[in-house]
Amino acid sequence: MFFGGRRREPDTPDEGTETRRRACRGAFALFAVVGLAACAPDRAGERARSSRTASADAPIELTDDAGNAVRLAHPARRIVSLIPSATETLIAIGAAGDIVGRTRYDTAPEVAALPSVGGGVDASVEAIVNMRPDLVIAWRSDSRGSTRERLVSVGIPVFVLKTEDTTDIFRGIASMGRLTGRDSAALAVATSVRRGLDDVRRAAAGRPTPKVFYLVYNDPPMTAGPRTFIAQLLSLAGAKSIFTDSSQLWPNVAMEEILRRDPDLLVVPAGAGVNSLDRLRQQSGWRDLRAVREGRVITVPADIVNRPSPIIARSARLLLEAIHPELRADSAGAPRPTSAPAAR
Amino acid sequence: MTVRAWPVSLRLAVLGVVTAVALVAAVRLGAVAMTWSALADAIAGRGDPTTITIIRELRLPRAVQAALVGAALAMSGATFQALLRNPLAEPYILGVSSGAAAGAVLTVVTGWAARFVWSLPVAAFAGAVLSMLVVFRIAFNVGRTLDTRVLLLAGVVMSAFLAALIWLVLAFADTESVRSAIFWMMGSHATASWRSVAILAVCLAPSVVVLFALARPLNLFAIGEPTAAYLGISVERTKLVAFGTASLLAAASVSVSGTIGFVGLVVPHTVRLIWGGDNRSLLPCAALLGAAFLVAADTLARTIAGANELPIGIVTALVGVPFFVWLLRRPTGGLTT
Repeated sequence: MFFGGRRREPDTPDEGTETRRRACRGAFALFAVVGLAACAPDRAGERARSSRTASADAPIELTDDAGNAVRLAHPARRIVSLIPSATETLIAIGAAGDIVGRTRYDTAPEVAALPSVGGGVDASVEAIVNMRPDLVIAWRSDSRGSTRERLVSVGIPVFVLKTEDTTDIFRGIASMGRLTGRDSAALAVATSVRRGLDDVRRAAAGRPTPKVFYLVYNDPPMTAGPRTFIAQLLSLAGAKSIFTDSSQLWPNVAMEEILRRDPDLLVVPAGAGVNSLDRLRQQSGWRDLRAVREGRVITVPADIVNRPSPIIARSARLLLEAIHPELRADSAGAPRPTSAPAAR
Repeated sequence: MTVRAWPVSLRLAVLGVVTAVALVAAVRLGAVAMTWSALADAIAGRGDPTTITIIRELRLPRAVQAALVGAALAMSGATFQALLRNPLAEPYILGVSSGAAAGAVLTVVTGWAARFVWSLPVAAFAGAVLSMLVVFRIAFNVGRTLDTRVLLLAGVVMSAFLAALIWLVLAFADTESVRSAIFWMMGSHATASWRSVAILAVCLAPSVVVLFALARPLNLFAIGEPTAAYLGISVERTKLVAFGTASLLAAASVSVSGTIGFVGLVVPHTVRLIWGGDNRSLLPCAALLGAAFLVAADTLARTIAGANELPIGIVTALVGVPFFVWLLRRPTGGLTT
């Protein structure tokens, strides 16, 4: 089950080009709001040059999310990001032109042509060194903390990023802005994301708050703990998770505890064939759940809601519209979702 | 002259050349392509600084560490098989790997591993030695002399207990810790640095001397403990020193590279199948073959899937098992210990 846990970890997704294209469209909407630029690769570099702040060549000192002081002689211009969501953030703030390497999970058009360094947690250190990066964005836990240690020992600055809750995400956007000398662009992105989240919060205010179970995985049942950005987005979108009392990030929970807490709604991030609803209906436990019996199961695209990046504004909107279908822009006053969308 | 009849000096010379070839290949091959001249320049400290870093700080220490670990595990396995007169014996038989894993997992879960780089190998080594001492204590509790059967059983139950403890801790740990812990337990040389190589070498040198000195007494063990005693061997002391030294070798290896299975089992058997079980030749030959095998396996693990690195245990088993089965099937083959 632990291997499963690894695979299911949000932000280490196995996303296809299609989903990235969708992400790109999401980012497009974002840029439109802040008036930055379009999501076209050929214009990324142009944007990169234009949006640097005045103090572009001053040294930078910033504490990363693991508490290490990271010093850069000048804003980063050759970045290898081992975290897909950080790559998205960099693209969003207009630093796509500064990225020199990617992981095999990064397929956004801005970076798809770049050489890969392998996975995010088991990247090839020598492939990274060979790209002569002046900054590497890394996970707190790679394979035994070795990547960071080896890179730092050969003089490459490593910035460790935490991606657990929305605070982490906003701090990540600010950090990426600071490290690339794009504070104002990062601020604009953060403001736009914050505005998007506020819109969702306002729209959900005053509406009934259903008890939901967010299904990360079905066997064994796993949900998003209260300290994750997913749980925070859910509560923003006007739902109350039935496991707000868990101390773990991604807790495994007992089936009978789910039955006892009796959620009104099952939220299933679907895609990549992980959670098949038809299978859920046949499994003991799940098929006995009131929400499943009554067809109160809603799906959201896993490849969007699992990403702790500026895309969370869009994720929150998707969750809101799934939980409160009457708020959907295209079908005002539509009936509650039943088995129809869920049976897919 | 058939391979079987080679004198010991020739065996060592040939294996030495094989190890050297493996080391050169390990430094030459990698995710970043390199020409021979660029390689020579980098080793001499000339040319592109990035290439120099890749060769001198990443590939060289890694290759040397793989060689040292391979030699240590092969010698440790050979010693255990001789002591226990059991072909299934391997370096981790006294709970060394689970002890090391328990120490490593504790540092990962408590966050120490992320804060202090040295804490993980130190805790792994401490866990390995501690587990080994407890196993000895159990074995001595049962009889007045060291009964190897009891020792084996104590090792097995200790491993099972520690494994359960590890999974108990991981069941309450966060996802990132679980990920780190699993990566560690799969074994890898990715953390290799000149410092880890130096520490390993310091642990290895005296152990190697001790084991070579014990080669003749170990030969007599093959006849049986009472006979060995009649022939003037102080059986109990030899057993204790040999067990302790072989386990220390395994503990030192495990603490720098995680659990790498298979090397300690198959390399000594391969040498025995070719040249017989005389420990005076077996121990040095196994050390060299183990070094060459692990260096080659690590090189394959680094290069076979492009920039994606495979866990080395996959390579040692996938390549080693077919070869070993082929060796077993040969008409003159047959296991001896």
